[in-house]
Amino acid sequence: MTTAASRTPRRTPLTWVRRGGLSTLVFLLPMLIVFGVFSWTPIVESVVMSFQHTNLVTTPEFVGWANFAAVLADPTFWIAVRNTAYFAVLALIFGYPLPLIAAVLLSETRRMRGVYSVLAYLPVIILPVVAVLLWKVFYDASPNGVFNTILGWFGIPPQPWIQDATTAMPSLVLQATWAGAGATVIIYLAALRSVPPELYDAAEVDGASIWQKVWHVTLPQLRGILFITLILQITATAQVFLQPFLFTGGGPNNATTTILLLIYQYAFQNSLGGAYGKATALSLMLAVFLAVLSIVYFRITRRWSTE
Amino acid sequence: MEHRVTTTIPADLPLQEPVQAERIRRRARSVRTRDAEDRGILGIADRRRTGVRTGSTVINVLLGAALVVTGLLPLLWLAKSAITPTQDTLMMPLRLFPNGVAWSNLERAWNDVHIQNFFWNTIVMAAGSWAVQMVVATTAGYALAVLRPAYGRVLTGLVLATLFVPAVVLLVPLYLTVLHPPLIGHSLINTFWAVWLPAGASAFNVLLVMRFFESLPREVFEAARTDGAGTFRLFWSVVLPMSKPILGVVSIFAINAAWADFLWPNLVLTDIAIQPLSVRLPQIQSSTDLGVYLASLTIATVIPVAIFLVFQRTFLSGAGLGGAVKG
Amino acid sequence: MKSPGKVLLAGAAVVATVGALAGCSSGSGGGGGDSKIHLVVAPVLPGATADALKALAERVKEFEKANPDIDVKAIEYQWTGTTFAAELAGGTLPDVFNVPFTDSKALANNGQLADITADFKKTSTADKWNKNVLNVATGDNGKIYGIPWGPYAMALSYNREIFQKAGLDPDKPPTTLDEIRQDAKTIAEKVPGVAGYMQMTKDNTGGWNLTTLTQSLGGRMERVGSDGKVTVTADNAQTKQGLEWLKSMRWEDDSMGSNFLFDWSGINQAFASGQVAMYMSGSDVIGSLMQANGFDQTKYGVTTYPLASGSDAGILSGGNVDVVNVKDSPEQIAAAVKWIDFYRTQPTVDKDAAVKNAQTLKAGNQAVNAPTLPVFDKATWQQNQEWIKPYANIPAANIAPFNTGIFSQQIVPEPPRHTQDLYNALDGVVQAVLTDRNADVDALLKGVDAKVQALIDADGK
Repeated sequence: MTTAASRTPRRTPLTWVRRGGLSTLVFLLPMLIVFGVFSWTPIVESVVMSFQHTNLVTTPEFVGWANFAAVLADPTFWIAVRNTAYFAVLALIFGYPLPLIAAVLLSETRRMRGVYSVLAYLPVIILPVVAVLLWKVFYDASPNGVFNTILGWFGIPPQPWIQDATTAMPSLVLQATWAGAGATVIIYLAALRSVPPELYDAAEVDGASIWQKVWHVTLPQLRGILFITLILQITATAQVFLQPFLFTGGGPNNATTTILLLIYQYAFQNSLGGAYGKATALSLMLAVFLAVLSIVYFRITRRWSTE
Repeated sequence: MEHRVTTTIPADLPLQEPVQAERIRRRARSVRTRDAEDRGILGIADRRRTGVRTGSTVINVLLGAALVVTGLLPLLWLAKSAITPTQDTLMMPLRLFPNGVAWSNLERAWNDVHIQNFFWNTIVMAAGSWAVQMVVATTAGYALAVLRPAYGRVLTGLVLATLFVPAVVLLVPLYLTVLHPPLIGHSLINTFWAVWLPAGASAFNVLLVMRFFESLPREVFEAARTDGAGTFRLFWSVVLPMSKPILGVVSIFAINAAWADFLWPNLVLTDIAIQPLSVRLPQIQSSTDLGVYLASLTIATVIPVAIFLVFQRTFLSGAGLGGAVKG
Repeated sequence: MKSPGKVLLAGAAVVATVGALAGCSSGSGGGGGDSKIHLVVAPVLPGATADALKALAERVKEFEKANPDIDVKAIEYQWTGTTFAAELAGGTLPDVFNVPFTDSKALANNGQLADITADFKKTSTADKWNKNVLNVATGDNGKIYGIPWGPYAMALSYNREIFQKAGLDPDKPPTTLDEIRQDAKTIAEKVPGVAGYMQMTKDNTGGWNLTTLTQSLGGRMERVGSDGKVTVTADNAQTKQGLEWLKSMRWEDDSMGSNFLFDWSGINQAFASGQVAMYMSGSDVIGSLMQANGFDQTKYGVTTYPLASGSDAGILSGGNVDVVNVKDSPEQIAAAVKWIDFYRTQPTVDKDAAVKNAQTLKAGNQAVNAPTLPVFDKATWQQNQEWIKPYANIPAANIAPFNTGIFSQQIVPEPPRHTQDLYNALDGVVQAVLTDRNADVDALLKGVDAKVQALIDADGK
């Protein structure tokens, strides 16, 4: 339907279909439906619910900042923040350098690398739930518990493991590190193998010792992946749920209650209807915190990377 | 990131003899390639030094011992305890069969605990999640990266935004959505769809696939178009066959995530008949004899470990690739 | 080489088929296309032994024979507070399930249970009920929302075999807290690896047990003023006395073992596997020990939990209430009440039903004569005991200490307001006392007072 005056055909629905607009939309449908119903809408609903008082029976009522205030006023909240930070810091100290060291050592082995890689990755293969349940048996605090028996061989008295507020969190971190380190080792291993060997050659020409080669060639080459695994680990440990839930249920006396566990308790612990407003408010607070942390982190590391 | 690129050839090679220089360069290059194959931090010269050799052997042995202790021994203990009578496991956990073997544990894990049913549920759950994720990721990636509609930027942005939202934010409203899904009459609780559908909303998968499709040469698409291929044909017969590597990576992530999921299935799958292993095993802990329980854990571990051992290369390279891709 | 497209398609097809098959949710049964009324009932806990399930199947068959228009599907189910509200909203609850005494009234008042008054009045025993027992299933509006069964009192369960190993007489269990402490110490010394005494500490059961202890000493966790206002008084002398007692057993005698995080099923398992010699639980716990843990009942002993002297000292009681899904149709509710009456009530009043039930239970190696309290009156209860005596599979001598002592104990109810929240807050106190030698009990209890009082006050009533 072109007139002499128009060069391009007018955009009608028919031309849109003919140009493939409809089929594009058809291809986008799965994503639109799935994301729309199960991702975008719930995110919006989460924000809305955090400003409401909801049980599932009556219509929700708007309460402004009351949920956030209630969370901040809850002493368990501050305990959870402290515990989560403690878990994250411990996990960083134990679990961050360890896979790197192991990967560097592994990358230097020649014959046994395949076997060692398999051994390192084995704990990652078993179901996380099974890993926790197995370690729960290991952590039996009686003198006949598995770990206590082993300690007994070295003359160390039996430890309370998860039965004592002081040792509970470190016990959880130990298991979490065991279960997750293997995956990081493999990632580092792949990154190590992609370090250009010429760099080592060059360093040797300059007379570098082994340690200097590691420090001045290996680590800088790995900088990118190291920065990423660091922030990923912090984000993941900030949301730890499985270990506190299955090992101790948050005890002893809230020593292992983390933020995620608290959100779960707010939402699902009361048979008469959960405090959904508080649960969503707390989850939003956590999300905002992690977002800010990530932005600050990337700003800082970008400056370091470009030097 | 800048590279300080030097070569092993002295920099002050006389320029008047290019041929000779070329021959030296070629020889050096072949030496270098040999080096490149088997050198890491330690070079050939390093490995010749006896100090380094003994040191590296010692470290090798220690590393191996550490890996055996941490990686292998716990699983061996589990397997041993699966066939040890409960009282022995409680009283003398590290002795080897002081009172004989209890094969009945395995039998009861099979017949009383019905571990195989929960295994099957886990497989079904993982398979469905995988399928939904593949469908969503490939179709969305194709539409956004290959077809590139005008509004594609907006959608990509929306998808990217969800990447930064931690899963916990969705927990409560997603649960309520599954309870009262739009359009469908009844709740999806206690159906596998409650797990499959939300699994598809993975921004990571979509972006991975998008990046890959964007890196495919557009000339191939143009050629197919001029050959008369329609949108669907292009997807099915051109793009997908070229995408095997990325589909493999996405598959590994998808199945891994589905397999390990605990919190969400625990919430939405309360009917025992369809619970996967990760939900069922903690629940029966208090009502199952320890020996039988450990036997159940063993059965739940044996198959993934066996699959891993058979397909190690795929797993390990996929895991490493994941890291490289993330980087 | 399979194209990825084909793989995807095949995968999707498989998934769609399986999904369609699995897609039918297993919630309450509605009309099944035939003229029968379908009920999904939940009478056993998850992990029930094969024997228990067989016994249950027998009873279901019996009921269906007597009521050919009703089809009953029995499932394993454990009522947990965690997802109840959401399950109710989502319509995935069974038609008949049981809730503890502590929750039935609150749920009824909240409109979360079906009103069964009309059908209840049609049952043969409607007038014979003990008013106090029926009260827990009655809403504030006077309507009936469930049928109670298996009321129990808190009791001291003990392992007779371990008693003998420690040189103690299993027919003379301890009768005061001091005696419990002494016996626990003896056991810890003579039988290594066994905790002499233990009580529950997590998932609200810690508070439940601690409240029982407090009330047995004469104290109260909550006091109701004459104006109806409820004050939380967790910080009272008797609670502190009880915690002192636990503290001395734990830190001075070391007679409580090394593991301290126990919920109801966890401590049952520890007891059943011989790691705990004495513990506090409901008097009917042997039923669950046999059903879920396969415990050998000849080793079981139970006695009354010691009460201090004084008119305030009383024993906490509890029980179960079978309730009906509030979303059921009137026909389903009528059928559900018939089932509950058949399965729970008739065996206590009708000789044939009692005998039949006992036989089925015995054949399935389930507890026939677990110690419970009278649902109607003592005379009916005694008569019932006579009827089932020939089938009793728990040695009478083992449960005699409880059965003879319980009738002289005063029953006191649980704290009335925000009971579960109170128990939850008290969990931390017990855990702290047992795991931290220097736990500041005063501060912890005051914290509980503040926290729960705030919840009560926020109700505004």
